Amino acid sequence: MATYGGWAGKVLRVDLGTGKITAENTIEKYKDFLGGGTGIGYKVMWDEVPAGTKAWDPENRIIFSCGPLAGTGAPANGRTAITSLWPLHKKELVGTGHMGGHFAAELKFAGWDAIIVQGKAARPVWISIEDEKVEIKDASHLWGNGIYRTTAEICAELGSSAQVAAIGQAGENLVRMSNIMTGNSHSAGGLGSVMGSKNLKAIGVKGSKSVKIAADKNEWKKLNDYILSLAGANNQWVVPKTPQPWAEYSDKGSRWTASKGVYWGAADPPVETGTCDPHDKHSIAYRTHKGIFDFGDIGEKYTVRMDGCHSCPIRCHIVLNVPSAERYGVSGYATNTCIGWWGRGILKTKRNTIEDLEAAVVGKHMTDDLGLWCNYGLIGRTLHYLYEKGVFKSVLSETEYNSIPWDKYLKNDPEFIIDFCRRVAFKKGEFGIAMGEGIDRLIERWKLDPEEISKDHYLVYFSNGFPKHHASENGGQVGMLINTQYNRDSQCHSHSNFLSSGLPLEINKKLGAEIFGSPDAIDANGNYTPMNPYKAKFAKWALIRKELHDSLPLCNWMFPWIASPLKERGYKGDTSIEAQLYSAVTGDKKTEAELDLIGERIFNLHRALTIRGMGTKEMRKEHDYFPEWAFHDENGKKPFEPGTNVMDRDDMEKALDLFYAELGWDKDTGAPTKETLEKLGLKEVAAELGAKGLLP
Amino acid sequence: MSEQEKRVIADSEGNVSNLLGKAISRRKFLKGGIFSAAGVAGMTLFGALGAYAATEGKVPLLVKSKGVILAEPSRCVGCRRCELACTEFKEGKSHPFIARIKIYRNLNFGPKGVQYGYWRKEGKYGNSRIIQETCKQCAHPVPCAMSCPNGAIEADPVTGAREINSSKCVGCGICTRACPWEMTAVDPETKKATKCNLCDGNPMCVDACPSGALKYISWRDLTKEVAVRQASIAAVNDSCNQCHATK
Ligand code: SF4
Ligand code: SF4
Ligand code: SF4
Repeated sequence: MATYGGWAGKVLRVDLGTGKITAENTIEKYKDFLGGGTGIGYKVMWDEVPAGTKAWDPENRIIFSCGPLAGTGAPANGRTAITSLWPLHKKELVGTGHMGGHFAAELKFAGWDAIIVQGKAARPVWISIEDEKVEIKDASHLWGNGIYRTTAEICAELGSSAQVAAIGQAGENLVRMSNIMTGNSHSAGGLGSVMGSKNLKAIGVKGSKSVKIAADKNEWKKLNDYILSLAGANNQWVVPKTPQPWAEYSDKGSRWTASKGVYWGAADPPVETGTCDPHDKHSIAYRTHKGIFDFGDIGEKYTVRMDGCHSCPIRCHIVLNVPSAERYGVSGYATNTCIGWWGRGILKTKRNTIEDLEAAVVGKHMTDDLGLWCNYGLIGRTLHYLYEKGVFKSVLSETEYNSIPWDKYLKNDPEFIIDFCRRVAFKKGEFGIAMGEGIDRLIERWKLDPEEISKDHYLVYFSNGFPKHHASENGGQVGMLINTQYNRDSQCHSHSNFLSSGLPLEINKKLGAEIFGSPDAIDANGNYTPMNPYKAKFAKWALIRKELHDSLPLCNWMFPWIASPLKERGYKGDTSIEAQLYSAVTGDKKTEAELDLIGERIFNLHRALTIRGMGTKEMRKEHDYFPEWAFHDENGKKPFEPGTNVMDRDDMEKALDLFYAELGWDKDTGAPTKETLEKLGLKEVAAELGAKGLLP
Repeated sequence: MSEQEKRVIADSEGNVSNLLGKAISRRKFLKGGIFSAAGVAGMTLFGALGAYAATEGKVPLLVKSKGVILAEPSRCVGCRRCELACTEFKEGKSHPFIARIKIYRNLNFGPKGVQYGYWRKEGKYGNSRIIQETCKQCAHPVPCAMSCPNGAIEADPVTGAREINSSKCVGCGICTRACPWEMTAVDPETKKATKCNLCDGNPMCVDACPSGALKYISWRDLTKEVAVRQASIAAVNDSCNQCHATK
């Protein structure tokens, strides 16, 4: 058998029910699925978890996997994909959570490409991995503790360089809105309770091995330097927020917030970001001053530094120090990014205020220690929505309603965050239980009107229990199509990274045309044209790349790079970076098209899992539906008028037609045809679906 | 030049002159080590290698590196690209365990590891400061080199940094215990020690750092600037304490 760089070569399997620990060969079993990330994850789910299995059944698997690039210096490879049945989905279909940090790299350094966990332990346990020494250890001293202390205890035992993925009390208590955390600020949302259901508190891993790079050292360095030369800021913004001496363009929305006179204000001594000329690779880490982006100008003063994942030069996490937050009993130091600061969304603090920063710090510590998830921010919006509608008053007993400190809620007092998080994580009362169940179960439980929820522009509920995530506001129909495909929020950034590059529309159209065949693939945001086949190509490409990124891994919050900050290249990026990195690291030379085909295989396997899980091929009717809000503009604007993201119903039906056609899926059902599956190397999948009457 | 940089230089000059005096008085100690003796007269503080293979019976010579890597924790964003570059561009593999710059072990809980009250200490679970550990390119005594029973740690002719002569190294690991900062490691895959040799004067870690947190500077004594990783190991090597601040 050929030897490859990149892969550790082994997948670890731990059966918590029997205590059996085994290893299998990554290449033999999983190479067709890139041997990593969601590729391994979906494959294991397809082979081993029969339809009808529930998320918390011992037969369910939870797969932690990284991929061939994890652990190398390939820029932005810190992602671990965690695949399982998604507890928040009403039918508990397949879903993946993803965490950044250093867990994936450490797993590789310990000599493993993935961990498959199955069964249920009789007592609370944690899995200890030290190179090939793998043990199931008693966790009775950890159970009931938060993630911080759990991590510290495991590192005290395993060594302080260990990386830990753990659940908090929320996961233990089978709260559906729970997560798995690593490295203080990186979380995989939605799957904490699956670990909890297996009595698995944490996985600790420490490695002393290497990840081999197949390419020659000098070539590898050249490739790295080349890739860095095309990098932008967080989410691949390639123009700065404010005019800079080197920049032809700027864009107020940009995450490239660095400038002369802008500081990491709480660093000791303060550090100036400077203008960050894109040709200077030693200032890449300063481009994204996310403290300013996430918190407004006030964030500058409280930012200690930027942080982020293994081997990533971009740094999108912010280390804050907000001493005044300490009066709520938490450390003033807090690290997170974007929606990771969702705890502040439990209140309605105003941006660019110290109250907002304090709420963010308190919220971060509560949610990241208890291991709560927000369903991409929906939990906070649901709270405000239901409060305003007076729902809590009508569904809760008077005693319970009055026990909730609403006065603190109305005053934006962070103590309300603490109270709220405890109620949800410990399932206290009807309020605590229901808020932790997720929106779909909440609708049923409290008999809310699903129609009204679907119309609401504040909640932006999308479908299948999740909110929109880069939907119509990113590419119109393209974003909408992408949002229909998963059983959780789509988490796809392939389209938004490009559409929000900050470059003028003409340049984006030109760059897009080279890939999708026509400039018509690209619209200005909020100024959409009717659907066309190029947009369908764009949507398909974005999804395939997302699966590729989740399997290589590369960060889909950065890649793919259609654009770059380099004027001398006409701002062109390079969409073959994935293939170049994969080929260099593994030595298995693949072109961009060949790698995309693998991505398409992985994506279709996800579709097949969804179909098998639902027991119907009627995806168009029962899965890929659109929310009502998308078809109503709050100001009464019509579709295709400038200044609105509102979509047209018939046009979106056409969008589905074209999208299915592009993927080789049946137009009426939205299910992959036998030919498509076979062409993608999924013959057995096609056979099984066929036998179950699930092929179109 | 910043105040901080000025202070570093002032400190280091004080230390180096101190060290010169002591080096001579410890002549006996050095005899039989890997250093021969040579005239100390005419030596410059930041001079080049000098004649390190000089004749027996004279006063000892400081064989010291031309340069050293200066790391600024306040700029470090914990990406570990330096660590990865070190082994990827040297050994063709990614292998933090043997990297000559250490981030991974300080990342989460700082150089002292997990301590009670970690939320107030260093690392990502504390104040989030990440302390990069680099080889100090000890001028003298050079604990790693002196401890090697096989004389496998020799001065690199280009940079003056001590480096591992892998044909002599037997992988016993004594040097990893001798370095007060635990900067050498034995590669579990090749069974040979690794130590920073400054990459012929173009250190890959410095080249890789996306925040300019690493600088390659002329040699100066940085021992006061950098946290000692394990006090107990430093104490074993008592001689270090005579010249270096290890507390
Ligand atoms: S003792 Fe340690 S710090 Fe000093 S030169 Fe040797 S490896 Fe470097
Ligand atoms: S490991 Fe090699 S270099 Fe280190 S002391 Fe032993 S023989 Fe010398
Ligand atoms: S490359 Fe620079 S910023 Fe990254 S870990 Fe090393 S010293 Fe810190």
